[in-house]
Amino acid sequence: MFSLPTLLYLSALLFSIGTYGVLARRNILIVLMSLELMLNAVNIALVGFGRVHALTAFSGEHGGQIFTLMVLAVAAAEAAIGLSLLLVIWRRWASIDVRELCRLNG
Amino acid sequence: MENELLNPGMEHLFFGITAVLATVSSLLVVTRRNPIYSALFLIVMFAAVSVIFMLLDATFLGFMQLLVYAGAIMVLYLFVIMLINPREGDLPEETGTVEKAFAAGVALMVFSLLSFAISNSDVVATIAAQGSIPALPEVHASHGAIASFGLELFQNHLLVFELTSILILVGIIGAVHLAMRRRTAEPTSSSEEGVVTSDV
Repeated sequence: MFSLPTLLYLSALLFSIGTYGVLARRNILIVLMSLELMLNAVNIALVGFGRVHALTAFSGEHGGQIFTLMVLAVAAAEAAIGLSLLLVIWRRWASIDVRELCRLNG
Repeated sequence: MENELLNPGMEHLFFGITAVLATVSSLLVVTRRNPIYSALFLIVMFAAVSVIFMLLDATFLGFMQLLVYAGAIMVLYLFVIMLINPREGDLPEETGTVEKAFAAGVALMVFSLLSFAISNSDVVATIAAQGSIPALPEVHASHGAIASFGLELFQNHLLVFELTSILILVGIIGAVHLAMRRRTAEPTSSSEEGVVTSDV
């Protein structure tokens, strides 16, 4: 049960749940949360691959984990920028609906 | 030297519980109407993912996951929810059944594509040939510990680390710039535009 294919299936499942969230929801907050969910799904796959190929990987023993740490940093930067954009949108239109963004002008 | 604390059966049990927990809580994240509930279920999902990291001998990364995601990022989300304080009427009306079905269809297609790729891979083929699930390969006892992780990070991946720190700096500056209130800029710029157009 606890092996690389199961991890990859779990990762694919969480990624597609995140895809559904990004496509189906109109609340920008929940769209951003679904993005975090997708990043986490990819992290599971990265750590799983890194663990299985720990001793044979070209990038070293902890290659997958270091990659995941970078994804973590990118997720933090993305959350900061996304949430400040959300604040700007909230001040401008008093709404957190993604459909407000289709106008593309202030 | 993997996980002396847990025998394989316990490992499988823990993985099964955390996988189900992660799946259920992520489904709840994308379906709840109130963003507060979504944020709280997202914390549960991050905790489950951190348990999976620790089961994969990535102890330091598991703690980092808890600290950065469940600690920092989710606090940021909750602060923003608290700051804008959306009332029931402010929440956008959600998509209709047709759009939901379309989104579910796209997600299902992504999932079936990915699982098709996984089930056709060499790993699954070898497992099917062996007839039993192999244990994860042996690694050093220090695998995933903070000392060996840090040594490898700073010896082999120093440039990536520094670039990431620049990325975070840019992120901070961008966030502060975007969230800053500009009171006087807009009226003057619009009046200047008006002058220019009247001259033309």
